[in-house]
Amino acid sequence: MSQLALRHIVKKYGDYIASDDVSFEIPKGKIFGLLGPNGAGKTTLIRMITRILYPDSGSILFNGEILSDKHTERTGYMPEERGLYKKMKVGEHLVYLARLKGLSGADAKKRVNEWLEKFEITNWREKNIEELSKGMSQKVQFIATVIHNPELLILDEPFSGLDPINSKLIEDEIHHLSQKGVTIIFSTHRMEQVEEICDEIVLVNKGRKILEGGVKELKQQFKENKFRVSYSGEILNGFLDKLQVVSRNNGELEVKFEEEHHGNDLLKLLVEHNVEVTSFNEILPSINEIFIRQVQAN
Amino acid sequence: MGKIFIIIQREYITRVRRKSFLITTLLAPLGFFLLIASSVLISTFSQGKTHVAIVDESGLFKDIPIPDADDQSVYFHRVTENYDDLLSEVTKEESAKYEALIFIPADFNVNTPNNPAIAYRYVKRPGMIKQQFINQRMTDVLQKLRMKMLQVDEQQIEDMQQKVKLNFESLDNSKEKQGYTDAAAIVGMVMGFAIYISLFFYGTMIMKGVMEEKSNRIVEVLTSSVQPFQLLMGKILGVGAVGLTQFVLWIILMFGVNLFSGVLFGIAMGSGAGMGELKNSGLDADDLLIVTQNLSALPIAQIVILFPLYFLGGFFLYGSLFAAVGAAMGEDGDQQSLMVPITIPIIISIFIAINVINNPDSSLGFWGSIIPFTSPIVMCALLPFRPEWWQILLSIVLLIGGFVLTTYVAAKIYRVGILMYGKKIKMSELVRWIFSKG
Repeated sequence: MSQLALRHIVKKYGDYIASDDVSFEIPKGKIFGLLGPNGAGKTTLIRMITRILYPDSGSILFNGEILSDKHTERTGYMPEERGLYKKMKVGEHLVYLARLKGLSGADAKKRVNEWLEKFEITNWREKNIEELSKGMSQKVQFIATVIHNPELLILDEPFSGLDPINSKLIEDEIHHLSQKGVTIIFSTHRMEQVEEICDEIVLVNKGRKILEGGVKELKQQFKENKFRVSYSGEILNGFLDKLQVVSRNNGELEVKFEEEHHGNDLLKLLVEHNVEVTSFNEILPSINEIFIRQVQAN
Repeated sequence: MGKIFIIIQREYITRVRRKSFLITTLLAPLGFFLLIASSVLISTFSQGKTHVAIVDESGLFKDIPIPDADDQSVYFHRVTENYDDLLSEVTKEESAKYEALIFIPADFNVNTPNNPAIAYRYVKRPGMIKQQFINQRMTDVLQKLRMKMLQVDEQQIEDMQQKVKLNFESLDNSKEKQGYTDAAAIVGMVMGFAIYISLFFYGTMIMKGVMEEKSNRIVEVLTSSVQPFQLLMGKILGVGAVGLTQFVLWIILMFGVNLFSGVLFGIAMGSGAGMGELKNSGLDADDLLIVTQNLSALPIAQIVILFPLYFLGGFFLYGSLFAAVGAAMGEDGDQQSLMVPITIPIIISIFIAINVINNPDSSLGFWGSIIPFTSPIVMCALLPFRPEWWQILLSIVLLIGGFVLTTYVAAKIYRVGILMYGKKIKMSELVRWIFSKG
């Protein structure tokens, strides 16, 4: 059963259609990328999943049940635009947010202590939020998002404003939570992170879903039969005329091969023509390329 | 309900803990007394002294006394100097003895006192109150002159001018003593003003709280945990609790002050009733004594029950609207104009209340005490005058209906507004949100 299933979601603001018949499923325990250019309708989808907004039509299932308010306690959401009460102390602020997620006062305090220790920031407890730097408050925000042990975690641009060390800390934590079975929706513009982190993605543009699938599968699906060959020695010019050469320099060759052929065929051809191959790679498109291509095609 | 309670707790604790809460709680009564003191001082010092020379060419007034003003603002000096000399002195010399001249022409005729008219010539224009006073004084003087011409003597005049003071006594309430109406007016006005000020004070507090949450974007985190309606109610109830705490502390402080000085109580009562209004109506220390004597005749039980009820009713009705405006406002708090539709009915209420204490039976008072947007203030001003029980009941039912309606409307606006960034919101858009389905 999937953690979350969106079925034919439609949401309009006046005449503007923010979500246009969007359906997809998010498998349990996976890290799921929700991608799209600015204004594609990602935030609207997230807000419907977190029940800040309601769809005009369509349904959302959480573990197979119709999504309702009780599920918000099992969801953690870190919005892109985030903030905290400036005049509250770190400790009491985290306790407050944890209690709003349904923890008892005592439980909330206990978990806050655990997390502050885990991130080695117990000395922040009595600090006012306004004394924290952006990166520091980001950490606090992350703790607030995960403190109630959610089954579903929604992270909207979680790394923005973080230095590489803290980025790594959060990334490790994301993988750690994923291993524990938490389903994670990860929304970002930074495609290299998507390749590193996500198992599956859905791509939305102008309120519509335009692509979905596993990261590996999509790369296969959109590959253009391109190969990179490194060689030593010379190549006879006549041989290259048979291939579609994308680039050639300094003993490295990038070629596009006919769709129906396999890489092995190319390798065989090279060997037959006495090319001394030192390395041979298939070039797969990056998610970034797929993203740009799909958005432009739309 | 559990989550609303957690929100109320936070709103309450973070506010009560602030230094500003302590300061306003302690200083507001002090500020209140300063306000009274300053209004007394202002009325004393605002009147400059004016020395007026009276040139009586007709000679008719020479035996008629022209007394100076009691408040030492105007002095009359009968002079024998030549009018033209005086005139040039007054206009040219800054250190002239007189600031103005009253010229009674030689052909002045008591039968047609405005033709030729008496002239008041000045360099510095007297204010409206001074003009009225001088005019009245000259009218009195003319009256005395005519009486003298008719050979009516002083005693006869005094006998003629005797005033009656009726004993106004209630037939159904023996405790009402002389001056009950004054007492009722003062108590009513104090209650009306208390609600008026607290609506603005705590309304703004709610609005600022909402704007803070919107501008620092925590609202997005909060709304993923709780319903916007819970957030709205938590904030309103939390600030309401702060308000009640402050009220109780003020009452305790007032009684504390009262222990030191019984007189202060009287002053507080008198001037709380809207400073100028009551002073203008001519209340003095004797009247205040009458007020304290009449306190026991006031419908205390009704007031004790209904005043907090109207306070809360008005607070809920307007509190939710202030929250809606806070949600609709831009992040930098511009678009103050969105506040106008809320502030106008509150201001109208206090004007009706001022009118009502003078005319408790007017239809303006009746409608003002019934309509939910004005009833919290107007009905409180009316309570000491014992309005009909059905009028109170109707007013309460409508008030409850009113705040259910405004809360519904406000919640709709709030829901959409808190998540709307970087956009100027027009009034027409707010209306559209109210009718949208979430």
